[in-house]
Amino acid sequence: MTKRTELSAQLRHEAARIERIARSVGLDFGDVVFEMVDARDVNALAAYGGFPVRYPSWRFGMDFERLDKGRQYGLSRIYELVINTDPAYAWLVRTNSDMEQKLVMAHVLGHADFFRSNVWFQPTDKGMLDRMADHGTRIRRAIDLHGQDTVEAFLDMCLVLDNLLDPFLPLREHMKVRAAANRDPRLAAEPSFEAVRERALTGGGSRPPTFDVLGFLAERAPLPEWQRDLLRIVRAEAYYFLPQRMTKIMNEGWASFWHSRILTGGVLDASEVVEFADCHSGATASAPGQLNPYKLGIEMFRTAEERGLDIFRLRRVHNDASFVDAIIDEDFVARNALFLFGRNGRTGRTEVETREFRVVKERMLADLSWGGLPRIELVDDDHAGRGELILRHHHDGRDLQLTHAAETLKSVARLWGTSVHIETREESTVRWISSDGAEIRTGERPYERVG
Amino acid sequence: MHRIERDRARFREIVRGRLRADLKKYLSTSELLGRRGEHTVTIPIPQIELPRFHFGDNSKSGVGQGPGEKGTPIDGDPKDGEGSGGAGEDAGHHVLEVEVELEELARMLGEELELPRIEPKGDKALVADGGRYSGIRDAGPKSLRHFRRTFKNALTRSIAEGVFDPRAPEVIPMPEDERFRWKKRAPKPESSAVIFHVMDVSGSMGREQKDVVRIKAFWIDTWLRSQYQNLEVVYIVHDAVAKIVDQQSFFSLRESGGTKISSAYELLLQLVRDKYRPEDWNLYPFHYSDGDNWSARDTERCIAILRDELLPRVNQFCYGQVKSAYGSGQFKKDLDTGLEGQEKLVTVGVNDRDGIADAIRAFLGKGR
Repeated sequence: MTKRTELSAQLRHEAARIERIARSVGLDFGDVVFEMVDARDVNALAAYGGFPVRYPSWRFGMDFERLDKGRQYGLSRIYELVINTDPAYAWLVRTNSDMEQKLVMAHVLGHADFFRSNVWFQPTDKGMLDRMADHGTRIRRAIDLHGQDTVEAFLDMCLVLDNLLDPFLPLREHMKVRAAANRDPRLAAEPSFEAVRERALTGGGSRPPTFDVLGFLAERAPLPEWQRDLLRIVRAEAYYFLPQRMTKIMNEGWASFWHSRILTGGVLDASEVVEFADCHSGATASAPGQLNPYKLGIEMFRTAEERGLDIFRLRRVHNDASFVDAIIDEDFVARNALFLFGRNGRTGRTEVETREFRVVKERMLADLSWGGLPRIELVDDDHAGRGELILRHHHDGRDLQLTHAAETLKSVARLWGTSVHIETREESTVRWISSDGAEIRTGERPYERVG
Repeated sequence: MHRIERDRARFREIVRGRLRADLKKYLSTSELLGRRGEHTVTIPIPQIELPRFHFGDNSKSGVGQGPGEKGTPIDGDPKDGEGSGGAGEDAGHHVLEVEVELEELARMLGEELELPRIEPKGDKALVADGGRYSGIRDAGPKSLRHFRRTFKNALTRSIAEGVFDPRAPEVIPMPEDERFRWKKRAPKPESSAVIFHVMDVSGSMGREQKDVVRIKAFWIDTWLRSQYQNLEVVYIVHDAVAKIVDQQSFFSLRESGGTKISSAYELLLQLVRDKYRPEDWNLYPFHYSDGDNWSARDTERCIAILRDELLPRVNQFCYGQVKSAYGSGQFKKDLDTGLEGQEKLVTVGVNDRDGIADAIRAFLGKGR
């Protein structure tokens, strides 16, 4: 990036004005550093998950390739990017119009407030920029010592497992530490307080039964130190990004709610109103087969406000699943024309199946719960006295993709060093997959409901 | 963002590895056709996915938003495409396109099929107007005057004339001392080749047969292009009469009626005599047919043209016979017996797409 990244004087002025308004309506955020970048650079940043300092990996290159192709063909366009750090860094794209910059700045402040206020982000490290840089250094050092191919292969193996997490673990641990600090104020004053919190987060205590399979492996698998280090890095970054997965709808909805309110509350010039409406409705447009998180989120906050609920409290305590549970009712489903779709086996087409409120809501909750991930639990780490692992997939009606599951299991086995097994279901059949890292064996038995 | 370029380069390296591993597959599909630009070919590859524990097919339903009664189809696959928002988590079904240099693709093909490099035949060294200013002349424009040479001459002369005084070393060049740089014309060998793709489009050549021809033609072009700086491609179709067509029609034309192969060979001969003279060009005719000629007499005529006129002139003549439901396949047998021992003739039968790789190897494997 050779070009200047500071904002023009005029935009700086607008930024200050928008920040002032945002604070006056009750948004709570720390310093936000706006920087101006080219469309191509913002794609690179997006490929890195917002962190330009990340470790080298071909996957970022792949994501960039996809994003940048989309930009070149005019299929997709990123307006801004903001990361959950303190200060929060927000990148504006040079090609945005003046109106768009204002919209985007207000939107960013909504996100910054959300990152700071929402409870699921409490355990995240606001100094992540430094930490990511540190991760990058450690991985580059490993590459220097062990060679690019070796490190890359191992890293890919870890990344395969980066969704074997317990989405509730960080907050649970965070609460525990805070409760302890509340009981004993001296603890909170200790410089080691951070270290205590840190230790809780490294998964040192993860023992079966646990959903934090990644944490268990990182601490207990018989690995050389550099490999353990990589696995810890992958885990730390996965947990850092997890709350964003769990609050996508809320976070986008909240930011859209506020950019809309702030801009139409006097920030827009009369000449910009039509452009604003166009841009805003583009961002909140929904195609029939998908839920647009911007749209769904903004409607949920508006509905909550109409009902006289405290939207600031809602944005503090909920994640997407619990927010949907709290807000969506029969009336909401009808007003927003939500439906359940599915594949019609006869016609081979995807069709509207039902608009029945209960079914629709149930499905939304299923999709959003557990961060949208399959619930996979480590239930035994010494199966048959041979140190074999048993994983159990908590089946909720959605099957695992079994070919990929088998491949993934292979990675678990390679890390663990002996055989591992996973139990899952396909309709009324219980399926077993076992792997010793090289071979894959499968088995099945009829499912009997226990207990 | 130099960092992203490194990651992207690494990704592309992996893609090329994939491509090399899957080249066999691409050799039998028409996937790459129509994706060729001037120097690159755009190759669709399924996103390289890390396997993970994720939900499978039976979750191919979900919640949507919009109008419609029960049973209203919603267009497109719901998981495809994303809003303008951002990257999206489920990298399920994206297909990525990567650009690969034709040169590189040809190299992979060469490695995969173990193709020898082609030795351009004869002395087709064309003088290209390359050349550098490495010559010296005693006349020329002032701007090209070679100062050092001129000074040396002047110095030599003034010493010889006895007018040079070391205490006042003044050297005045006379016109005859002057030397000038000159562009030396360097004969730069430039090899040129022309491919003739000749296809039988009589009624018996169906869609599948044409696809096989298309795919084969694509790879042959790709290979030969990497071997010659200057490659022209001429497309000829024939049923009972032959004509030159453009690339588009070559692949889409569907004539019907009889087959007189000699018509195509006569047209070829005429081109080779008038336009693409073997003194200047490396000639590669490829003829594809299902092997059903009109009459035995016409086949004899073909053999005569090949033996007496074409084969002596071309680098290699390739006949690829594509199996079809209607063709008798007689023509290949006739060529093989009628022209036995002719080194420049290669005949290959292709049963289906899987035979394409072998056919290419047979055609290009001799390095002619």
